[in-house]
Amino acid sequence: MRKIRLYISSGMVLRMILRKRIIPLLLIVIPSAFFYMVYLTTSERIMPFEVASIADKLILQVSERNSSFVFFAVATVGFLSSYIGLSLIQEMVDVNKRLIICGYHPIELMGSSFLVLLVVIIFVSTYISLSMLLFFTPVSFAGFFISMVMSGLTYGCYGLLIGSVFKGELEGILLIVLLANIDAGWLQNPLFYSGAQNKMIIQVLPAYYPSQMAIVSAFSSYSTTKILFGSIAYFCSFGALAATIYYQKMKKK
Amino acid sequence: MLKAENIKKSFGKKTVLNRINLDIGPAQLKAIVGENGAGKSTLVKIIVGYWKADEGKLSTKCSIGYCPQQTLVFKQLTIEENYRYFAAAYGLQPDERINQEHFNYLMKLFKFEQYKNQKVIQLSGGTIQKLNLALALIHQPNLLILDEPYNGFDWETYHSFWEFISLYKDIGNSVLLVSHLITDKSLFDRVYQLNNGKFDA
Repeated sequence: MRKIRLYISSGMVLRMILRKRIIPLLLIVIPSAFFYMVYLTTSERIMPFEVASIADKLILQVSERNSSFVFFAVATVGFLSSYIGLSLIQEMVDVNKRLIICGYHPIELMGSSFLVLLVVIIFVSTYISLSMLLFFTPVSFAGFFISMVMSGLTYGCYGLLIGSVFKGELEGILLIVLLANIDAGWLQNPLFYSGAQNKMIIQVLPAYYPSQMAIVSAFSSYSTTKILFGSIAYFCSFGALAATIYYQKMKKK
Repeated sequence: MLKAENIKKSFGKKTVLNRINLDIGPAQLKAIVGENGAGKSTLVKIIVGYWKADEGKLSTKCSIGYCPQQTLVFKQLTIEENYRYFAAAYGLQPDERINQEHFNYLMKLFKFEQYKNQKVIQLSGGTIQKLNLALALIHQPNLLILDEPYNGFDWETYHSFWEFISLYKDIGNSVLLVSHLITDKSLFDRVYQLNNGKFDA
């Protein structure tokens, strides 16, 4: 029965998300708008930068446009996933309480939100990775795609966490925009990172591992396994924390 | 069907419910009346099992259907989808014949047939309120707990509501209605007045 309940719940949550016209629109329009903006504003000049996560000192020579595409791809998946994660929790919290009174377990509801988030992340990651091929081909397409999924999972679980902690939509969106903007949208830019003074701070932020994985897989043939584990650890921590807080808030007391 | 003895609940230093006793037998219609903040919703949440009482004993020997004060339904889903979702919560298989028949019965009872595939967000306030009530009846409970159930009902719906309650009681089920205002006390087997966390004598 639990499997059927999870299946029904996931299906219903996915329908609700897709029926909000703004969400499918955002998922299609934002990546295209960001890429177009990058295309219009960057040049083809070659910029050297150091890759932080590789033990051997690796200096890449990449065009400003291509490095910007990769950096914006990570940030876009992060922004969208965190917003979807937040919406999945915040907008349904009251009705979900009723479902819990009727018999659903809070973790089943959180589980179905996570499954829907995963579907959305895979869709956005596929869309972005394939769009990237219009501009250049990453050295490892699979590695690049996985880095998009990791960015989505890390920031998606951050959205679930913020949604579980804060009831107000405004606080939630502010906290998402604040971190996603500073981290994925600014500090993880490889060109900024190369010249940054205190790299330790940048390395502990959530988008560090997905960004590094995207850069390494897009422009080199180095292994990204170690970076992948860092990324998995980050999203698992956010996910576990979100599930714990959600359970504590929603369980029958 | 339901017996609550010496129920006590506090939030911090504030005692919201103080030694509440309540007894509901088969085919009874009872009401709890009280001002805003008297503790009605707290008592309901304890009865439906969402909160635990600090002290006291609560025993239920029946299935409970709970209709909350707010219309807690999924507005982006249709009436049928809401039904399926809540049926799953009650542990029912929505596609089983017996559940499908009950769904059709509820559709007729609340005159939902023409709206069943419409998103809730497109429905009128009264229809949404009726759906709120219908979702409490999916698992055919023996005791129905209604928290301010007729907010937003028009006159016709209000009448159909009381017709339904009478029918529901006639087949041996019970109803506990919670409201800040009861107009016709003669309809009830008993009306409890909740004041500052206590029932008035």
